[in-house]
Amino acid sequence: MNIQDNYQKNKKNIFFSENKDIQTYREKLINIFENDRFDKKNNESLKNINLKNFFDFKYKYLISEETSVINNNQENSYSIVSVNGQCLSYKDDKIEITKILDEDYIDFSKNDIIENNDHFVNLNSLFLNSGFKILIKKNNNIKIKISNIITDDDLTIFQKNNYICEEGSSLNLIEEYENKNNSTSNILNVIKLEKNSQLNHFLIQDNSSNHNLIITTHSSVKKDSTYTQKVYNFSEGYVRNFHYSELKEANSEADLQGIFFLKDNNTSNNKTYVKHLAEDCKSNQVYKGILNDRSKATYFSNTHVDQVAQKTEGYQLSKGILLSDNASYFSKPELKIYADDVKCSHGSTIGPIDENAIFYLRSRGMSKIAATKILISSFINEELSSIDNEQMSEIIQKKLVRYLSKVK
Amino acid sequence: MNSDTLNTLNSYSINKYKYGFVTEIDDEKPKKGLNEDTIKFISLKKNEPEWMLDWRLKAYSKWKKMKEPKWANLSFPEIDYQDIYYYSAPKGFEKKPKDLSEVDPKLIETYNKLGIPLEEQKVLAGVAVDVVFDSVSVATTYKGELEKLGIIFCSIGEAIQKHPDLIKKYLGSVIPPGDHSFSALNSAVFTDGSFVYIPEGVKCPMELSTYFRINAENTGQFERTLIIADKGSYVSYLEGCTAPKRDDNQLHAANVELIALEGAEIKYSTVQNWYPGDEDGRGGIYNFVTKRGLCAGKNSKISWTQVETGSAITWKYPSCILKGDNSIGEFYSVAITNNFQQADTGTKMTHIGKNTKSKIISKGISLGKSQNTYRGEVSFLRKADKARNYTQCDSLLVGNQCGAHTVPYIDSKNNTAVIEHEASTSKINEDQLYYCRQRGLSHEEAVSLIVNGFCKQVLQELPMEFAVEAQKLVSISLEGSVG
Amino acid sequence: MFLEIKDLSVKIENKNILKSLNLNINKGEVHAIMGPNGSGKSTLANVLAGKEDYEILNGSINFKDNDLFDLNIEERAQEGMFLAFQYPVEIPGVNITPFLHSAINSKRKRMNEEEIDNLSFAKLLKSKASDLGINIDMLKRSVNTGFSGGEKKRYEILQMSILNPDLAILDETDSGLDIDALKIVTDGVNKLKTKDNSFLIITHYQKLLDYIKPDYVHVMVNGSIVKSGGSEIAAEIEKDGFQKFQ
Ligand SMILES: Nc1ncnc2c1ncn2[C@@H]1O[C@H](COP(=O)(O)OP(=O)(O)OP(=O)(O)O)[C@@H](O)[C@H]1O
Ligand SMILES: [Mg+2]
Repeated sequence: MNIQDNYQKNKKNIFFSENKDIQTYREKLINIFENDRFDKKNNESLKNINLKNFFDFKYKYLISEETSVINNNQENSYSIVSVNGQCLSYKDDKIEITKILDEDYIDFSKNDIIENNDHFVNLNSLFLNSGFKILIKKNNNIKIKISNIITDDDLTIFQKNNYICEEGSSLNLIEEYENKNNSTSNILNVIKLEKNSQLNHFLIQDNSSNHNLIITTHSSVKKDSTYTQKVYNFSEGYVRNFHYSELKEANSEADLQGIFFLKDNNTSNNKTYVKHLAEDCKSNQVYKGILNDRSKATYFSNTHVDQVAQKTEGYQLSKGILLSDNASYFSKPELKIYADDVKCSHGSTIGPIDENAIFYLRSRGMSKIAATKILISSFINEELSSIDNEQMSEIIQKKLVRYLSKVK
Repeated sequence: MNSDTLNTLNSYSINKYKYGFVTEIDDEKPKKGLNEDTIKFISLKKNEPEWMLDWRLKAYSKWKKMKEPKWANLSFPEIDYQDIYYYSAPKGFEKKPKDLSEVDPKLIETYNKLGIPLEEQKVLAGVAVDVVFDSVSVATTYKGELEKLGIIFCSIGEAIQKHPDLIKKYLGSVIPPGDHSFSALNSAVFTDGSFVYIPEGVKCPMELSTYFRINAENTGQFERTLIIADKGSYVSYLEGCTAPKRDDNQLHAANVELIALEGAEIKYSTVQNWYPGDEDGRGGIYNFVTKRGLCAGKNSKISWTQVETGSAITWKYPSCILKGDNSIGEFYSVAITNNFQQADTGTKMTHIGKNTKSKIISKGISLGKSQNTYRGEVSFLRKADKARNYTQCDSLLVGNQCGAHTVPYIDSKNNTAVIEHEASTSKINEDQLYYCRQRGLSHEEAVSLIVNGFCKQVLQELPMEFAVEAQKLVSISLEGSVG
Repeated sequence: MFLEIKDLSVKIENKNILKSLNLNINKGEVHAIMGPNGSGKSTLANVLAGKEDYEILNGSINFKDNDLFDLNIEERAQEGMFLAFQYPVEIPGVNITPFLHSAINSKRKRMNEEEIDNLSFAKLLKSKASDLGINIDMLKRSVNTGFSGGEKKRYEILQMSILNPDLAILDETDSGLDIDALKIVTDGVNKLKTKDNSFLIITHYQKLLDYIKPDYVHVMVNGSIVKSGGSEIAAEIEKDGFQKFQ
């Protein structure tokens, strides 16, 4: 079914379909779909994508709000189970959780950093059927853990979440995605950091092979604030992690990191894009991937430095290890620089595991396979050892062991 | 940035182009515009065989269906292909002159001014030169010596007459006319250019060189160069270019094809100094060039070195197809943009064979209000076992109104291949400037020295005869003051 | 007076570093400055050389009858001021030999002297280098690039002996040198020393002053000179540290 018909037919399930402004906006998006030639070569959101799967989908959605849970188990610490993209409303003197509002939707539609041709974001905006908004109030220091659950097969979740950290606040956010049913989640996280705030965002992704996960994050960071995102992707299904970050005021920082472990026929597409719009900001974009079997990955990174963004420091690193001769990795580390007083750099390496290192370890009596596993672990050691949450570190170690057990 | 640096920079961005003079000479042109008649006119002027005309017309029909490639980071007004002359020759060039006594003295004077003497007693030592003025090749030096070794070095027009087998076999074999719109355009209307064939086992004892000069107004230059290095041979080829100052933009869309057979090596160096336009961005050459080399045989090697300082727009990606096992591709580039110049340049290394190696060293320097983009693609195909690439691209920003961009595409489909890529962008280092000035160098000298140092890895790849010239050119592009 | 620093106060990034500093140096004299880390010794050296990041709040500097603030960095160098840097910067791709050759010629040009040609310069460089125990191969390398700490220092002294300055400021040239190198370097300095040129030597160690005999030793603390005297001060500092001067 084409996008237009799909949209018309399911309007009743789609959020804000009565809002006139939003209707007009959606008409525009439909137009984009109808006129785009889906040129895979020049559109980063389409590379390695089976278009038919994603644009010709069966739209099905179930509200099961009543089963979502919010738990304030410890002081300043919350755990949330979000079901089918929904979350109960909640309020105390530190945080506030509500449904996503049409004004948030409109506000986001005005951003100009996400290109019009990121079709997954456009799909999300068109078919939005879930999502929530979490506000961290001034000067609070909060921990939140969210488990994202999907209840049924064949669901397509189009979810938009807003996270707002007010001035002086800090949030430690751990999100888990471990879905086993045959479904698709298309999630857009819109993140706003007010002055002097911090968000440490961890995403642990471990879905089964029949679940597709598309996560797009848009973060905007104000003065003296830092946004950190760390993605750990162990999924056996398709995952897309795209991140667009805007450093809007002086002395702000974005640190975007990811590691992914692919095998079988799996595909993962990744992108980080940081736009420096003010002086003295820093960004860091580091993705590492291990690819086995016939897996495929892409990583696009981009540091854009505006003319006013003097004294920028921007760093990119992309590293890939190909374990099999059928795996493939594409990376495009881009620098676009319009200010002169900058220090920007990127590095990228793709290759097999270092043969000299394997030889060295074998000469110490280790089997080839054991050596390989040790070297894979050391490849991502820095990322793993920097996890300061013990529980999370344990979870990730376990998943790594599971992945390594399949490496032959 | 401190005020001294700014002052120096300002004086730099007033670029003065040394080669901007016009030669007053009668020329012969067909009507403006591109159509089958224009192509027939060119083919007739060149006295070409039927098959060549057919080849051109086929390319033309492809071109009609194509759009210009749009991915580069360039902005320029739509090119009106009907407002260009596609052929221009100094009067009396129906036939290439046999010797210099037949050449208009004005032309010889032009080349003397450009530092390329053509007179027998003055020719550059160790460099054989083919000189192209607008659409025609006017002279080739050292021809006899080369012939003794079996080396063919002549204009492509002459090669079509005398060596049709080689032309039929190789022309368009690396850059198919239908590759993109500029290659189709060139294939349809190319006027002259050089042809080189190095026979098996011959190491060409001198540099071969072509010098391109656009003189006539509103004239596009579409030359075609084809170099074939047969088994185990070696050749080093240099290309230089200039054009007069004019307020209009002129189009240059050349195609260069290189073929290296087993064990052969081709070294291709360019010093591109087309007129870049004035301080306000008026005029200048639009340079849309396709250069591609095929390492067809085992153990072959193709190395591109370019120093790009001119042109209003540069769109150029000298590439290597590494097909033969163990073959090597190299790309060394310095691109300097000033005033309103835009450059989108880089390379493409396609690893097909086993054990193939490539190396990319790119240095970009942006000044004034210019935009300088490195765009490069490295891909390892499935069979490219143990292939390796090393890429380093560094950009230097001088002033805060210009842009420096790096757009690498890295694609690996082989798990034994290793790719390493590094890039950096920064401004000119104030501590280095301070150090040099503390030793008594002026601010200008210090900048020029540091920039030349920054480019050294590339400049040292140029043949001796050119390296010194190129260093001077780098300094001139920075300072605009003529020595 | 050869060099006269009067009441000099200097600030960088809102921090006052030099505070009403006074110092006079006559032709033919060797002065040493000692002082704890961060007291402003390198700042003084950089202000003399003309580094542009500093804000001069007050005071004057006179050098060979010039108001020093009227001269920019290279003019001061051409007038005969030489600074051997504490941390010489690497300049990749810029070859040592032509670099120094242009340096010496810019100085000669200003002094209306004839420029020195390639060949004689190469000879001069070689002989000076071998005096300082510098391997000829090193002269083919880029300025300071990949040099060890000690090599950088030696190379600074080589440049000094080629440029033959009127006032040489050595900013901790001794640190990082092994004992043999220290001997060679100080020999180099002593050879250069005449009654017409002067030295300002910044150091932490008395050792250096055993090799180069200073006429005066100054103690710099917190941006001003708090005590001046003869070499006995150096011995005092070696024994008791800077504590009592603070
Ligand atoms: N660019 C700068 N920005 C801010 N502070 C600076 C700068 N340069 C120097 N300073 C400060 O000025 C003070 C003096 O520094 P300086 O380098 O002159 O000390 P020094 O006496 O040479 O020390 P050392 O013995 O360690 O070499 C230090 O506190 C230093 O941190
Ligand atoms: Mg110091």
